[in-house]
Amino acid sequence: MKLPEGIQVIERGWLSSNNVVLHARTGAVVVDSGYGAHVAQTLALLERVLAGKKLARLVNTHCHSDHMGGNAAIQKKYGCRTSVPDGEAPLIDRWDEQALILAIADQRAERFRYDDTFRDGDTLRMGGYDWRVIAAPGHDTHAVMFHSPEARVLISGDAFWENGFGVVFPQLFGRDTALAETRATLEAIGRLEVDVVIPGHGRPFGDAGAALERAFYRLEGYEEDITRLARHCAKVMLSFALLEKRSMPLAELPAYVARVPILAELNSRYLRMTPAAMAEWLVNELERAGAVRRNDGMLYAAGN
Amino acid sequence: MNQDTRPGGDVPSPCNNVCRMNPDTGLCEGCFRTLDEIAAWSAMSDAEKRAVLAQLPARRTLR
Repeated sequence: MKLPEGIQVIERGWLSSNNVVLHARTGAVVVDSGYGAHVAQTLALLERVLAGKKLARLVNTHCHSDHMGGNAAIQKKYGCRTSVPDGEAPLIDRWDEQALILAIADQRAERFRYDDTFRDGDTLRMGGYDWRVIAAPGHDTHAVMFHSPEARVLISGDAFWENGFGVVFPQLFGRDTALAETRATLEAIGRLEVDVVIPGHGRPFGDAGAALERAFYRLEGYEEDITRLARHCAKVMLSFALLEKRSMPLAELPAYVARVPILAELNSRYLRMTPAAMAEWLVNELERAGAVRRNDGMLYAAGN
Repeated sequence: MNQDTRPGGDVPSPCNNVCRMNPDTGLCEGCFRTLDEIAAWSAMSDAEKRAVLAQLPARRTLR
C-alpha cells in the first residue's frame, strides 16, 4: 500500500501494535509503541527507521499494553515528549491495572509518565501534516484516532481494522453504552475523507468502505447477543497470553482460566462453565481458528 | 489469534510474535527476516514480499 511522503508504518504482529513513524525535519513522531516483551526489537526498528534523525514525540491512540508497552523505553532512549489521550491520563497517573487491562488480564507494561494530553477536536502537527484528533470510544472508552485530511490517511488504532475492531471490553464489564459508542465511532469513520487506513494491527488498507461493512456486520452480531462478544473476548485473551508465553501445559489451563480475573469474570457473568469445560472449549475454538495447536500435553501458539 | 481473514490476494506477514533479533545472524528469531525487511514490509509490493518469503526457508535451515 503506497502511503504519502513521510508516513511510514512498521507493521508488527498481534502481540505488538503497529508503530507509525511520521517523519519531519523538526523531528519525527511515533504513534504507538508495541508490547513490552518486544521492546528490544521495537527500539532496534525505530533506530533503523529514524536513521539518526531526531525522535521528537511519542503519541498513543490508546493505552492498552500492546500500544504503550514500549513507551518507557523509548522515552529513556530518546528523551522525547510523550502525549496521551486526555481520558487516559488519570489511569496512567495512578497506573490503574484494572482499567488499563493489565494485571487483570495477565498482561503487563512498564509504567511511564506523559508530558501532555490531547482531546477530541484538537489538531496535532505530526510529520509534516495536520492530524485531527477524533474520539473513538468502544474498544477503549478514551481511545482516539488521528485523521489527516491533506494526506487522506486515518490512523485508527484498535477502533477499526480491515476485518473488525478490538474487543469491546467496556460493554462486557459494566459500561452498557460501549457498543453504541462503537457504532458511533464506525459511523464517524464513514464520514471521513480517507484513502488509506493505518490500523493498530494488520496491514494498511485502502477500501475503508468494505471494511466498514464487515465491521458493522460483526457489531450487529454483538448487539444481538452479548454472549457472542463474551466468547470472542475469552478467545482473544487466551490467544494473546499464548502469543506471549508461546506454550503452556494443557493441564494448567483450567487453573489459568479460573485464576486470571478477566477470564474468571467472563465465565461467571456470561459463559457459566466449569474451568475445565471452559479450558476445553477455548482450546477447541482456537484450534479450529488455527491460532493454537496441541501436541503431547502442551498447547502452542501457531507458528511456534 | 489470527483475527484477520484477508479478502483478495495479499501476502501475509510472516510475523509469529516472537519478535527478537538474533545478534549473530541479524535475523529475527521468529520470522527470520532482517531488521530492514521488517521495517520496510508494509511498503513493499506483493512481489517484493513474496521475494522475501521465498528466502525464509533457507534461512531457517542455516540456524
